[in-house]
Amino acid sequence: MIKYNPFNWITLLLSSLILLFILAPLAGMFFETTGTEFLETITDREVQESIWLTLWISFAATFIFAIGSVPLAWLLARKNFPLKNVVQGIIDLPVVLPHTAAGIAILGFISRDGFLGKAADIVGLTLINNPAGIALAMAFVSIPFLINSARDGFAAVPERLEKAALTLGASRSRVFFTISLPLAWRSIMTGFIMMFARGMSEFGAVVIVAYHPMIAPVLIYERFSSFGIKYARPASVLFIIVALAVFILLRLISIRKKEIHVTPDAETY
Amino acid sequence: MLRLININKKLGSFSLTNINIDIPDGEYYVLLGRSGSGKTQLLELIAGLNDPDSGEIWLKNENVTVTKIQQRNIGLVFQDYAIFPNMTVFGNIAYSLHSRKITKDEIIGKVARVAGEMNISHLLNRYTHNLSRGELQRVALARTLVTSPALLLLDEPMASIDASLKDDVKRILRQLNRRGLTIVHVTHDYREALSLSSRIGVIHNGRIIQEGPPDIVFSRPVNKFVARYAGIKNFFRVKFFSEKGLFRAKCDGNLVFTVADDDYPSEGLLILRGDGIKLHNSEPECRFDNCFKGIVREIIPSEQGMEIMVDAGELFYINVTVNDFKMLQIGESSEVWITFPPESGIVLPGSI
Repeated sequence: MIKYNPFNWITLLLSSLILLFILAPLAGMFFETTGTEFLETITDREVQESIWLTLWISFAATFIFAIGSVPLAWLLARKNFPLKNVVQGIIDLPVVLPHTAAGIAILGFISRDGFLGKAADIVGLTLINNPAGIALAMAFVSIPFLINSARDGFAAVPERLEKAALTLGASRSRVFFTISLPLAWRSIMTGFIMMFARGMSEFGAVVIVAYHPMIAPVLIYERFSSFGIKYARPASVLFIIVALAVFILLRLISIRKKEIHVTPDAETY
Repeated sequence: MLRLININKKLGSFSLTNINIDIPDGEYYVLLGRSGSGKTQLLELIAGLNDPDSGEIWLKNENVTVTKIQQRNIGLVFQDYAIFPNMTVFGNIAYSLHSRKITKDEIIGKVARVAGEMNISHLLNRYTHNLSRGELQRVALARTLVTSPALLLLDEPMASIDASLKDDVKRILRQLNRRGLTIVHVTHDYREALSLSSRIGVIHNGRIIQEGPPDIVFSRPVNKFVARYAGIKNFFRVKFFSEKGLFRAKCDGNLVFTVADDDYPSEGLLILRGDGIKLHNSEPECRFDNCFKGIVREIIPSEQGMEIMVDAGELFYINVTVNDFKMLQIGESSEVWITFPPESGIVLPGSI
């Protein structure tokens, strides 16, 4: 319980203002959308396809990039190597870049003149205006969330548990899959959800790489710029509801995994 | 047989230096040292979790210095047991067996056998987060013993359990050793070392400073550090001299002791065990050379009975049993006499 002294009152007031700042625009948008507008949007095929496209591309991007990101996170948590801090800085770079600039960088990479674009061209694939290009743009801006969360998760696994497994005859890979990964699972899932959510909401980088096929944030922008706020609002409300539902669902799935109690490492010598 | 030959390992500002240990098969070797002395690090080198910078590790006449950890057949029980929290007790014990090519039935059989020996059969299906410290330790031991190790390494196995469980654990460890298992046990507690070991190595600042059977190490400590480990509190800086055919040691505080022989340097440290000093509540017939009158300053209950601090010009710490203490009928500020035979003094040469 909070004791009501002047400091707590001021803290409470400022906290309430911040919460209001987050909730008020969203609530306003919800209340200003009529039932008819909302129903029309739900049945709008273009909106449905756009939201579905956003969800699966973001999920696929997160899943595919997790395959490389999780081992990288383990390396960062467990090993010391030259320029480790530089590597950590590189991983955090997408967070501080303007997303349109990130989009330009990705575009250069996947256009026909770029390294990846040329490689894709050989197999007859054009990455620009293609779900694969969108996935790359989404992954570029959201991957730090997964790597950093997984790294923290691995770092929290007591090293002595991994050492104990090694003394019991397990190989390094078995130790990783039976001890490190299960014990860091919650943090990895949190990172996965954060990367997925961040990728799903990306606009700046994606719009430069692929205006079409239209993901939900681009569709909302297109409706706003062509028809105004009245037409963009119901699609926004629907996208927020779907995104929240998926977010909550994934959270519930990750929380259902059994709570594991670990105690930190004891002194080492 | 385990042989460590000139092991050196640098770890930041700390280093293990010139470690040489020979442990015959079936020996119970206790590595005694303070926290930070390098004992856990040495265990990890033996187990193969780290490699030495130089030196060799031999096990059963085979050089295992660079042998993979998985192939050394050495069991290590960690200080806080390192039980896998994401597995049941069965999963923990069976963990090593899944790496071997044996059938599921064999795994179940082996786990059941070792769980029975450790008296934890009833816990096999439980997760480990609500097990007691004693139960966790049995699980850790079972998990290691199921691999049938050639050598068992124990890192402070009694540091985290209640005093009431310690005897139980000691009994298990003695049984394992009696069955022929070679054990290297790391601890900071000299009583643990005394009650279990067939040989002790005292490690300090990454060096083995004394090695031998426990009675020898604790009765003839090579320096003040080991003496402190043996629970000795009576240290007197003295100068030696001869007087009327007797050999004397004069303290800084001017008290003069009689010592047993003349094979001493000019100055050094005289050590007296607390249980080697006799306490009297009235003046004894002073046929003893070392008989001093003093005042009781403090009485502290101890594991053996009572520890009495007496000021007789120097401070003496004397251990007496509870029965003896009752018979003495003394309290703080009582006038007492202390006596000890000349041969009970241990002399360490030099200005240590």
